[in-house]
Amino acid sequence: MSEFAAELVGVSKRFGPVLANDGIDLAVARGEVHAVVGENGAGKSTLMSILYGLHRPDAGHILRSGTQIRLRSPADAIRHGLGMVHQRFRLFPGLTVADNIVIGAEPVTGARLDRAAAHRSVTDLSDRYGLRVDPAALVGTLPVGVRQRVEILRALYRHAEVLILDEPTAVLTPGEADRLFEVLRTVAAGGVAILLVTHKLTEVLAAGDRVTVLRQGRVTGRFTTADTTADDLVHAMVGRSLPTPVPRRATPDAAPALDVRDLTVRDADGVTRLSSVSFSVRPGEIVGLAGVAGSGQRELIDTITGLRDGGDRVLLDGTPIHPGRDPRVAYVPEDRHARGTAPQMSLAENLLMGEQRTLATRSGLPRAAVRERARDLVARFSISAASVDVPISALSGGNAQKAVLARELSRGSRVIVAEEPTQGVDVAVRSRVHALLIEARDQGAAVLVQSSELAELRELADRVLVLFEGRLVAEFGGDATEAQLGQAMTGVSA
Amino acid sequence: MNIVEWSLLAGVLTATAPVLLAALGGLICQVAGVFNIALEGQLLWGAFTAVVVSDLTGSAWAGVLGAITATLLFAGLLSVASVSLRADPIVVAVGLNLLALGLTAFLMRQIFGVGGTYSSPDLAGLPTLAELGLDLPVVGPQSPLVPVALALVAAAAWWLGRTRSGLRVRAVGQHREAAEAVGLRVGGYQHGATLVAGGLCGLAGAQLALGNVTLFSEGMSAGRGWIAVVAVMLSGVRPGRLLLACLLFGVAEAIGFRLQGVGLPQQAADAAPYVITLVALVLAAVAGRKRRGNEGEAL
Amino acid sequence: MKVLSPSVVAVAGALALTTLVMLAVGVDPALAYPALVRGAVADGNLEYTIAAFVPTLGMALAFALPLRAGEFNLGGDGQLAAGGITAAAFALLVPLPPVLAVVVPLAAGTLAGGLVAALAAPLSTRLRIPAIVSTLLISAPAVSLASYLARFPLAEQGTGIAQTPRLPEHAHLPALTEAGYVTIGLPLIVLLTGLWLYADSRTVLGYEIRATGQNREFAWYGGVRVNRVAAYALAGGGGVAGLVGGLIVLGPPYRFVDGALTAPGYTFTAVAAVLLASARPVVVPVAVALLTFLQVGGQGMEREAGVPSQLTQIVQGLIIVIVAVLATVRARRGARA
Repeated sequence: MSEFAAELVGVSKRFGPVLANDGIDLAVARGEVHAVVGENGAGKSTLMSILYGLHRPDAGHILRSGTQIRLRSPADAIRHGLGMVHQRFRLFPGLTVADNIVIGAEPVTGARLDRAAAHRSVTDLSDRYGLRVDPAALVGTLPVGVRQRVEILRALYRHAEVLILDEPTAVLTPGEADRLFEVLRTVAAGGVAILLVTHKLTEVLAAGDRVTVLRQGRVTGRFTTADTTADDLVHAMVGRSLPTPVPRRATPDAAPALDVRDLTVRDADGVTRLSSVSFSVRPGEIVGLAGVAGSGQRELIDTITGLRDGGDRVLLDGTPIHPGRDPRVAYVPEDRHARGTAPQMSLAENLLMGEQRTLATRSGLPRAAVRERARDLVARFSISAASVDVPISALSGGNAQKAVLARELSRGSRVIVAEEPTQGVDVAVRSRVHALLIEARDQGAAVLVQSSELAELRELADRVLVLFEGRLVAEFGGDATEAQLGQAMTGVSA
Repeated sequence: MNIVEWSLLAGVLTATAPVLLAALGGLICQVAGVFNIALEGQLLWGAFTAVVVSDLTGSAWAGVLGAITATLLFAGLLSVASVSLRADPIVVAVGLNLLALGLTAFLMRQIFGVGGTYSSPDLAGLPTLAELGLDLPVVGPQSPLVPVALALVAAAAWWLGRTRSGLRVRAVGQHREAAEAVGLRVGGYQHGATLVAGGLCGLAGAQLALGNVTLFSEGMSAGRGWIAVVAVMLSGVRPGRLLLACLLFGVAEAIGFRLQGVGLPQQAADAAPYVITLVALVLAAVAGRKRRGNEGEAL
Repeated sequence: MKVLSPSVVAVAGALALTTLVMLAVGVDPALAYPALVRGAVADGNLEYTIAAFVPTLGMALAFALPLRAGEFNLGGDGQLAAGGITAAAFALLVPLPPVLAVVVPLAAGTLAGGLVAALAAPLSTRLRIPAIVSTLLISAPAVSLASYLARFPLAEQGTGIAQTPRLPEHAHLPALTEAGYVTIGLPLIVLLTGLWLYADSRTVLGYEIRATGQNREFAWYGGVRVNRVAAYALAGGGGVAGLVGGLIVLGPPYRFVDGALTAPGYTFTAVAAVLLASARPVVVPVAVALLTFLQVGGQGMEREAGVPSQLTQIVQGLIIVIVAVLATVRARRGARA
């Protein structure tokens, strides 16, 4: 029997023009926590999806305890003792914790579910690994950290011998993350092989035994954490020692372009999502917005962009924001597919949104003008597309994101709000997006960037604001360390 | 006075049964994440095939079985097109509803040689419970499919809540990707739900054409399949509430029918079930919106 | 498959399946199809076909316009009946000078149809009740109400037939043919179709309607007032349906006959035609022409070859299903390429 619980040998996978995985070899041993790191778009998620049967590789194969296996579906993967905790949880909100864990291998008496047995199994497992859950609770009512425990318990219940965790700490506070790593150590000690996918280096060094680094679909480094430094990893990840520092400009003394005064927002259930938030952004500065997911970012940004009515608490150049969409605010939304684009409409028509009334003449909306404007933006923002008439869904993710930025930045808005502006794009697009935001700032725009990637905020922002449970709990200069930000994000006052 | 009220109850049960059976099929589809608005066409197809088989064999029970089988096959079209081939279920359903309307009218002329309405002494209707020796004076002369419908609602509630396959169907409908991730064959459960709905619509059609009356007339489903769709929307996918929603329709139809007797124009009676269903739908949506608050206000 | 458009494949597939149905029930296709063609175009039948083309094209607009905004308007029958009975009421009850005697009832019918359809708009946008359900539910009572009005308050006395009296001469639509079946309704609906095609592709409203239909959140975030746009589209569709009702009533036999507006099945022939055109508006008139041809020809086929004309409904149903399937097959191919 092989010493490795699972091995990927020479795995390649292509999506259209993108070679997501290019001949990757990766082996994980029983009882080890093996970190897989790389920047967004380096091919980590694709590789893990292949190992869990969600994608089939174009080339290469998978070994399980030394024997070659074929995975056509997650069902196959589960049968072969593989388990996965997805970045976006695969849980059923309307079912109980116990049902969520046992589903697929339910204890039954006849046709009937044996719920008592299910609860017993769940309680046993959660005691053994210190993963506290209430088996009878509805998953939809649980906080994010607990949902993740349910996913881990599900994999353990199915006797996973290889456990894949895809960016498990993205939704956790640093404290919760530390507890998760303890649990993973316990699980590994029981002989399970753990693959920890992340792009956070501190985690890798704290929790991993070995590390495999991916860049642009290839393995660029293999390390043992004991004798590795963060610098080695960064070098392997980005191909240079340190990110080039972005020249910062001193915060100008101009009057604020965006002024939020004592904003409180309650949701439908009367729960306070934002309480007494006040801050301002001046022309010529980039302000970063940090916080654990669900700390009020969504509500704050929807109010600033006018999509949610904020009364007169949000001022643009001293006047209240127009409800509906205010053209003085450019907005790059987090979800490109749901909000940023209409996938089936052409690139030209996607680039038009918001400007349709300015381009209209008395006889309507001239097609030539619409195309002309689109071609101009395509050239200025170096969007690569076959033509402006193709559906935007035919563009790569990075180009679609550039198109969204092109549309928003070309309007010359005073205020720019960008949510997760580089999520799911490759390194080249990422630096291009950053350059565009910086250029807009230098031209006098007030820029607010929300990102869950602290490194991104540190690279871009002149100041960083931290939201915690709907309150603005801290403000840092652009030179804040990730540790400082992380503490503030968990409510530990700096 | 008593008699009047008891017979109203009988009318309510009779009017409710076909809608309830079809709606139960719709509910199971909804639970499995299939938006099934082809109930109208399937109900009509079920009624037609029940009449054809009963007429040919002289047995109402053969008609019931025939309707279940034939409608199951008809539902197979929806299942293949929208689950296997992933075609837009709404468009497919619109097409199938139209197909059922045309096919039944066409075949009735070919098979029975008449248009409009077909009835004949050869056509065996379902016996009443009383004829089967079950004398329940309170509910009036009901076909055996009426208690079957009520029993099926209870059975569905038990199945969805307490069994392994019920749990899995609910899981599939709640989160497709999650169901795939735990190794469930999503398509299989959705096919199953669609076919079960077909069978139930066949039963509903048999009750309509051989239980409520003993005849077939063109377009005799008369919107009941759509009322069933609304009942599913009102039910919050809970079988108990589905029964209430269908009873509401049954009451509306029975009262409308009765008021016709006291001089209300027939058009008002025709419209009553739709108006009441629509009002119930609006009230439920308003209540739901109050609960949700202004969350969706902006959109 | 690459050279053939999905519409052509759908029609061919539907006809092939229909032929199978014919063979299965013992009808000779070699007799039925020529009878169908003759029924549509021979011996002056062409005039009936053109006369049926007008309301079908109108109802196609009534379905297609809201569909562009993502709203399924299946309540065409109710909007049609409401428009028809309103137009009849105005023509009968309001004394008007010549030209206005046509214009006012048509306008009133348009308004009535638009209002009936617009009822579904807040239900869809505010209460999330799908228009496909609400338009249908509203349609049935609207048809009943029109039927009631035609049978009682507006009924022609003494005949016992469920119809209004003949409309005054001034209110008759000017005819373009000797028999009078083709009226100025034809150029009017063709003009409306042209306007819609132009508006759809080259105006701000058309763009906003399409954006709303393609991705409502995208349009909303882009500043489009999506609720209002959806309401306009539904009301506009219902308005055209109401206008069609008016055109039918103001044409021969110049009265509202209960059931005469909905019985020919314009609404669903139009739905089939629009879906057949599969999201390409310019193809809609062609698809309408084809299905009208089948529909009218089907009646000839019934007269001549004894084949029930409901066969054409089967064809329409099959076309819709096949189009839906082809759309996803094509999309998946596109995704793979």
